[in-house]
Amino acid sequence: MTDATSGSAMGKPKSSLLVQDDRTKRRNAAEARFRGYGVVAITIAMLALVGLLSSILYNGSSAFRQTFITLDVYLDPAKLDKDGSGDLAKIAKVTTFGYAPLIKKSFEVEFEKQGIGVEGMKPKDAAKMISKEGPAELRRFVLANPDQIGETLSFEFLASGRIDGYYKGRVTMESAEIDKNVSPEQLQLADQMKDAGVLETKWNWGFLTRADASENRPEAAGLGVAILGSFYMMMVVLCLSLPIGVAASIYLEEFAPKNWITDVIEVNISNLAAVPSIVFGILGLAIFINFAGLPQSAPIVGGLVLTLMTLPTIIIATRASLKAVPPSIRDAALGVGASKMQSVFHHVLPLAAPGILTGTIIGLAQALGETAPLLLIGMVAFVREFPSAPPEGFFDPAAALPVQVYNWTQRADPAFVERASGAIIVLLVFLLFMNAVAIILRRRFERRW
Amino acid sequence: MYDAPKLGANVEQKELKIAARGVQVFYGETHAIKDVDIDIQAKTVTAFIGPSGCGKSTFLRCLNRMNDTIDICRVEGDITLDGEDIYDKRVDPVQLRAKVGMVFQKPNPFPKSIYDNVAYGPRIHGLSRNKAELDEIVEKALRRGAIWNEVKDRLHEPGTGLSGGQQQRLCIARAVATEPEVLLMDEPCSALDPIATAQVEELIDELRTRYSVVIVTHSMQQAARVSQRTAFFHLGNLVEYDDTATIFTNPRDERTESYITGRIG
Repeated sequence: MTDATSGSAMGKPKSSLLVQDDRTKRRNAAEARFRGYGVVAITIAMLALVGLLSSILYNGSSAFRQTFITLDVYLDPAKLDKDGSGDLAKIAKVTTFGYAPLIKKSFEVEFEKQGIGVEGMKPKDAAKMISKEGPAELRRFVLANPDQIGETLSFEFLASGRIDGYYKGRVTMESAEIDKNVSPEQLQLADQMKDAGVLETKWNWGFLTRADASENRPEAAGLGVAILGSFYMMMVVLCLSLPIGVAASIYLEEFAPKNWITDVIEVNISNLAAVPSIVFGILGLAIFINFAGLPQSAPIVGGLVLTLMTLPTIIIATRASLKAVPPSIRDAALGVGASKMQSVFHHVLPLAAPGILTGTIIGLAQALGETAPLLLIGMVAFVREFPSAPPEGFFDPAAALPVQVYNWTQRADPAFVERASGAIIVLLVFLLFMNAVAIILRRRFERRW
Repeated sequence: MYDAPKLGANVEQKELKIAARGVQVFYGETHAIKDVDIDIQAKTVTAFIGPSGCGKSTFLRCLNRMNDTIDICRVEGDITLDGEDIYDKRVDPVQLRAKVGMVFQKPNPFPKSIYDNVAYGPRIHGLSRNKAELDEIVEKALRRGAIWNEVKDRLHEPGTGLSGGQQQRLCIARAVATEPEVLLMDEPCSALDPIATAQVEELIDELRTRYSVVIVTHSMQQAARVSQRTAFFHLGNLVEYDDTATIFTNPRDERTESYITGRIG
């Protein structure tokens, strides 16, 4: 009895629960520190994200607005159809250059009507406020509607990049003095035209629907070809990588014997996922273009290269989700006499579907943002023609969204900065959309108990 | 017909369903089942008892070739079902498993509706020609699984939403829906509470009228309650196989006696 009491007293001094001992204090402090690190890390990440997004939005949102000048143009038969024959071949002989006087003339008419004008400024200079794309558009319209010659029609022209920049804060009176592309008088005139309602800055669908434009007409550059090209490529990637990837994973995970060959394959799939994307570009150039003879800059080649890149991602995600299906489900299916294939396709695959879909969409999103391999297969080319409808369209030259961003950042005119940022916004919106779809699909399928 | 000595010759003679002769099972290097001979009779509940790791579940899984799914597992010896060697090269394990159904330790309903759970087997084996016939099969199976009254109003609700005991009875209904000749049960009550256990045991007793039931159990009371024949496994050997009453009252081997009196295991 005495031994027992003295023993316990010697071994461990009596302690109160109300006082923390040193060990507990140290432990709690370590935990608090760890939490602190976590909060700091997440805060830094959030700040970086906010900084990135706000700078892109700040630079890029103006790409979605554009300055337009609305003018009544008299389609003068004396200039467009000299002998009045209405023969399309003859009308087509009038070059874009021949349409410039029509626009100049309509400026004169407009100024007289509105009573505006700047001292010492010729209509020729005023006509330069219109984008170089303007006469070309006018010509395209006339060639499409030759019966309209002789009429006076209202046209909405793009203002030149500098005038547009003036309303976006890129061009000022001071910078205009030393800029040979724009003069302060033109800017003054632009202000008068704005007051008169001739000039207007508004939402610009053209940014999403137009093709790329050359160096000296940034105002006409749009993402149409790039969006279509990216869309075609994603179709190719989805149609090839989903069935191939899922079939390969099912075979490897459920049917293949476990031996050194499958081990080697498994290691190599993981390695492929880590191969730099530009290597896939070189591979695509060598195999699909040089060896197989597919056309350059074509979405089919881009799609094939991106498929190679996406496959490892899809295979790894699919195998992980197949592994996550409890073995008891397989046993249950085999136990009632289902074949291996029935048990996989009736029971395992539906349960793994959310994971497979998520992996696929993440792989697609990765492919959508990939630039390097596309540069090597010629998607960086300047493409003004829209690819035709699939399947022929897969073989027509096209651009891609990330390559378009890369392309525009190479150009000298500052107006392309906003275009590039705007293209990034479009790309990010697509990526967000795809991720949202991934989340929705996962939720939907998971609700099936 | 049999060259091995017949065990339990004093029981009433019933039709022989499964005969195993010289069965050896290896998991890689491990010798899990050593030279087991056993005759399993039709319309009888046969219980396999024994301490953990003695090989009774492994042997059970040999009877419908579920061990085929384990790569490193190797089975030697002969197992015949109605005189046909089930390990013959010409035998498709899928066909075998339709004849020899299985219920697992943990209730494992498919994440589908109760109806689809039961209808799955008949569907893949083509047992019904139309919806009405399938409905009939499902109802019959659920009645045999003694769960019809509880689920008849919610056949299209998920099977995973049932309680543990109900899930296990659903799994039994699923197994009997394909009209098997033998039903293997691998510790079917180990995840259930006493009330659910009692329901399942009652069900097993009813199933005996149509099927040959083989049940692996850790509970000796359960073996005594539900089975007519009991086999005691120890360290991969079949130690004793006899009438349940004989095993529990008058065991011949001292290892059996030690186990049922609680001295080993």
